Amino acid sequence: MKIRNLFLKITFLVTVLFSFNQSLSAQTVEEGKTLFNANCTACHAIKDKVVGPALKDVDKRRKEAWLIKWIKNSQAMVKSGDPEAIQVYKENNESIMTSFESLTDTQIKSILAYVKAESEAPAAVPQTAGTSPAAGNNAAANNNQETNINWMLMIIGILLIVIISQVFKILSKIGEIQGKPVVNWNKTNGLLMMAFLIIGLIATVWEFVVHGPLTVFEAGPASEHGVEYDNMFMITLVLTGIVFVITQVLLFWYGFKYKADGKRKALYYPDNHKIELLWTIIPAIVLTVLVVRGLITWTHMTSHNDPKARKIELFAYQFGWNARYAGTDNKLGAHNFRQVGVMNALGIDTNDVNAYDDVVTNELHLEVNQPVDLAFRAKDVIHSALLPHFRVQMNVVPGLPTKFSFTPTVTTAEMRTKMNKPGFDYILLCNKICGGAHYRMKMKVVIDTKEEYQKWINSQNVLVANKVKNKTVALK
Amino acid sequence: MSDHNIDNHHEEHEHHKDSFLSKYVFSMDHKMIARQFLITGIIMGTIGMLMSMIFRLQLAYPDMTFPFLEGIIGHWGKDGKLDPNFYLALITIHGTIMVFYVLTAGLSGTFSNLLIPLQVGARDMASPFMNMLSYWFFFASSCVLLFSLFVDGGPASAGWTVYPPLSALPKAIPGSGTGMTLWLVAMILFIASALLGGINYIATILNMRTKGMKMTRLPLTIWAFLVTAILGLLSFPVLLGGSLLLVFDRSFGTSFYLSEIVAEFAGGIERTGGSPILFQHLFWFLGHPEVYIILLPALGITSEVIATNARKPIFGYRAMIGSILAIGVLSFIVWGHHMFITGMNPFLGSVFMLGTLIIAVPSAVKTFNYLATLWQGNLKLTPAMMFAIGLVSFFISGGLTGIYLGNAALDINLHDTYFVVAHFHLVMGSAAIFGMMAGIYHWYPKLFGRMMNETAGHIHFWLTIISAYCVFFPMHFLGLAGVPRRYYANTAYDQFDVFVDMNQFITIAALLGGLAQLIFLVNFFYNIFKGKRSPQNPWDSNTLEWTAPVEHFHGNWIGEIPHVYRWAYDYSKPGAEQDFIPQNVPDEGQTDCMEEAVGLPAIGNHAASAEA
Repeated sequence: MKIRNLFLKITFLVTVLFSFNQSLSAQTVEEGKTLFNANCTACHAIKDKVVGPALKDVDKRRKEAWLIKWIKNSQAMVKSGDPEAIQVYKENNESIMTSFESLTDTQIKSILAYVKAESEAPAAVPQTAGTSPAAGNNAAANNNQETNINWMLMIIGILLIVIISQVFKILSKIGEIQGKPVVNWNKTNGLLMMAFLIIGLIATVWEFVVHGPLTVFEAGPASEHGVEYDNMFMITLVLTGIVFVITQVLLFWYGFKYKADGKRKALYYPDNHKIELLWTIIPAIVLTVLVVRGLITWTHMTSHNDPKARKIELFAYQFGWNARYAGTDNKLGAHNFRQVGVMNALGIDTNDVNAYDDVVTNELHLEVNQPVDLAFRAKDVIHSALLPHFRVQMNVVPGLPTKFSFTPTVTTAEMRTKMNKPGFDYILLCNKICGGAHYRMKMKVVIDTKEEYQKWINSQNVLVANKVKNKTVALK
Repeated sequence: MSDHNIDNHHEEHEHHKDSFLSKYVFSMDHKMIARQFLITGIIMGTIGMLMSMIFRLQLAYPDMTFPFLEGIIGHWGKDGKLDPNFYLALITIHGTIMVFYVLTAGLSGTFSNLLIPLQVGARDMASPFMNMLSYWFFFASSCVLLFSLFVDGGPASAGWTVYPPLSALPKAIPGSGTGMTLWLVAMILFIASALLGGINYIATILNMRTKGMKMTRLPLTIWAFLVTAILGLLSFPVLLGGSLLLVFDRSFGTSFYLSEIVAEFAGGIERTGGSPILFQHLFWFLGHPEVYIILLPALGITSEVIATNARKPIFGYRAMIGSILAIGVLSFIVWGHHMFITGMNPFLGSVFMLGTLIIAVPSAVKTFNYLATLWQGNLKLTPAMMFAIGLVSFFISGGLTGIYLGNAALDINLHDTYFVVAHFHLVMGSAAIFGMMAGIYHWYPKLFGRMMNETAGHIHFWLTIISAYCVFFPMHFLGLAGVPRRYYANTAYDQFDVFVDMNQFITIAALLGGLAQLIFLVNFFYNIFKGKRSPQNPWDSNTLEWTAPVEHFHGNWIGEIPHVYRWAYDYSKPGAEQDFIPQNVPDEGQTDCMEEAVGLPAIGNHAASAEA
């Protein structure tokens, strides 16, 4: 039972922390928000259907007592034959909602209070604010505006078609009268090709100037191997850029220059072995350079091997991430997929001595300049952990262990200064289609200094605290 | 098969009257089957494109509601809001339709059927009946796929690559129920169609060439179709096997692709011991050659269209054949570059990376040869020619980003981001569609005996190329910022807020591109019935199909099949009166056309030439 309780504490760490504040009713909504974000957002949103239904106005649809019962154990309700429960279960593709038996009634009430407050709040909810300035504040105005845009789009479309078809008709009529087509398409196309080439090249440069700085390459890599990665990228960019410009210029310029004018005859020139040999060998040499360089980079990136690296396991499930730290022994406890369940979300073998001091968290904290070995494990389907700022990605495959080793080099604070964005945070995204809430399956990544990291890791609960001491003794 | 036999066969057909059913529906005439493939492909393409419009709206305006959606897609668009699960269904079916139904069957099916017998000088395919079956399997497959849109839980939603476990377990996503079963059924029917077609194409090209049509005199279109058919024949069965195993995993409780999945999640049976990565290997063993199954016919068509309209022989004919063959062979040893980050052995990754980047060499050769063909040409900028030039442009733009993605190291940060979306929509999507359009504009007179409106064709071209670049070029930058593909919305990430404008721009460009296709659709369908009658050889082309009469009948040529005396590219030959010399014009300097026979033997014709 003790182990069971400890697991509850870990899985709902935030819950436990906030349970001391229950008496402060003014904080109910605020507390509900924290609880909601920690426990519910993987599957629910206020106004969007994710995996579970949208929760807007849920307090008006169902009684509070029913909701509490449902949240604590929905399957029990379905099995007991509650018609409402069965309906909800069926409407949502019979996906089973996680049971939250650890949440107290007060906590659930505070979550509901938060949902209620959000339901009554104006249209722009925090998570979507800022994405569309045009969205407006008032739901009615919003709808009107959208309908107008829809209508306008449709009308413009129809008008365009009508105008174009009329222009065709008139042009062909005039052509018939004059005995020759009005538009000399050979000439027009030639000119249009030149225009397309020039505007296209300007637009390409514009893209690099305007959107280039928005990419992850602008701030530079935040990991050790990232430097080599970025070099490789830049070499490829320069080489392909040169080829791109030369070939596109030749293509459209030839199209313009050699358009038929009725006077010339084409040159009969079926082949030239010297030239062909030349343009087979030159690309081959350029590619050899890229291949050799690429292979070196690839080998460096995949053959990190540092015995002192900190071992961390990333656990992916629909739809969220957990990090498991190996603790002071730097050994991760064994796991077994059969033990994955409500009480033991990660399926950790609690009888394994190495598991006693493991720490499970919802955020990934790493110490700057400290190598880490990330091991990946998935519960249900394939996920992929993408950390774009570190040039790190690895698939997370159920039943197939994968790993990636790297060393972060820039702390979150440093990156914020560098990018001049105080609100910046590193992220880990799911990058392999995994279901309805794939697009919001993320984890915050924090790169700490040594002191910050120690402080943070010490503030986390180890899995089996009372045994850790004994184990250390036993090992010695 | 000798000419004599074919003649008999042809006469038989002249004797019995074609009923409506045997002429338009269950036709065994390759030209009618080509039309059937094309029109089915265009209808599927329109559906696929409309799907992309819906999800582009969602990506640009994630906070807006579009009440009309509820009218189109029912409860999936409740209150005008697209359901995230249905978003995934849309991208899945969009991908499936575009890759298989439009760019494989619609492109290769149409033009292989139309051009192989006509350009090699045969009265029909080796087996007209199998050819008909090929179309009807394809038709049945299209129907099953479209039907799956209406089943409970929605159509397949695991992405067009349908990776298990997501596609194997109905609990994982609603679309993995009946919808996924139907997807697999559709795919199995499709593979049957592709195989029936492919065997026929190969047999016809190798065995039924007319007198004098040596392998080295074949137009490049036929070379491309030949290699395409071989690729299909070798790779599609692997997907068939892979799909069947997935059917077993889904329906019969096996675990080929499943490992460490608890019973509760897997339909009551614990699944362990399989490997999800195995499916990826089987899928991409087809999937990568599939890219070239799509692209090679488009490149073949482009070679023919560029040479004809530049009034110049294609530059480096033999190098072009060589590069088609090289691409064909290499395409079988590079599938692993789709799986660099599945945790595969880094050494294996190196091998796949090497193979992948080598493909850039034959691709570069093809590009340079196209440029050299344009050089000093006398370009007739018809719509077909414009689309062919557009293809070369996309082939360059999309091909170059392949050098990033084929590099295992760079792939780590780019895999599955919008960079990939931009890459393959340019090199495989836009390029192949442009090749298909070039083919349609060029061979429309052959297909329907009428001409398309040229002005409409040019407007269609310019609107399409501009919108395609506006849609796909900016996506590279989304990818470089780490925006993953297949995201319903980017609203969950503050750092992607800067791309709101770009996403709206892309959507508007996509809508415009969609409107431009309306011009094409009207031009295409209107002129089938009302177009100007086509002359026999509207583009002054050398190849054999233009020696056949404009009116279609089963057997292609009245009387004897023309003999071939020269290659297909005698354009602007010095000393000739006109700037083209069709392949069936005897070459005076050459007494026996069979003397310098090289390459693969033209079976049957050798006996005839020996007598001569």
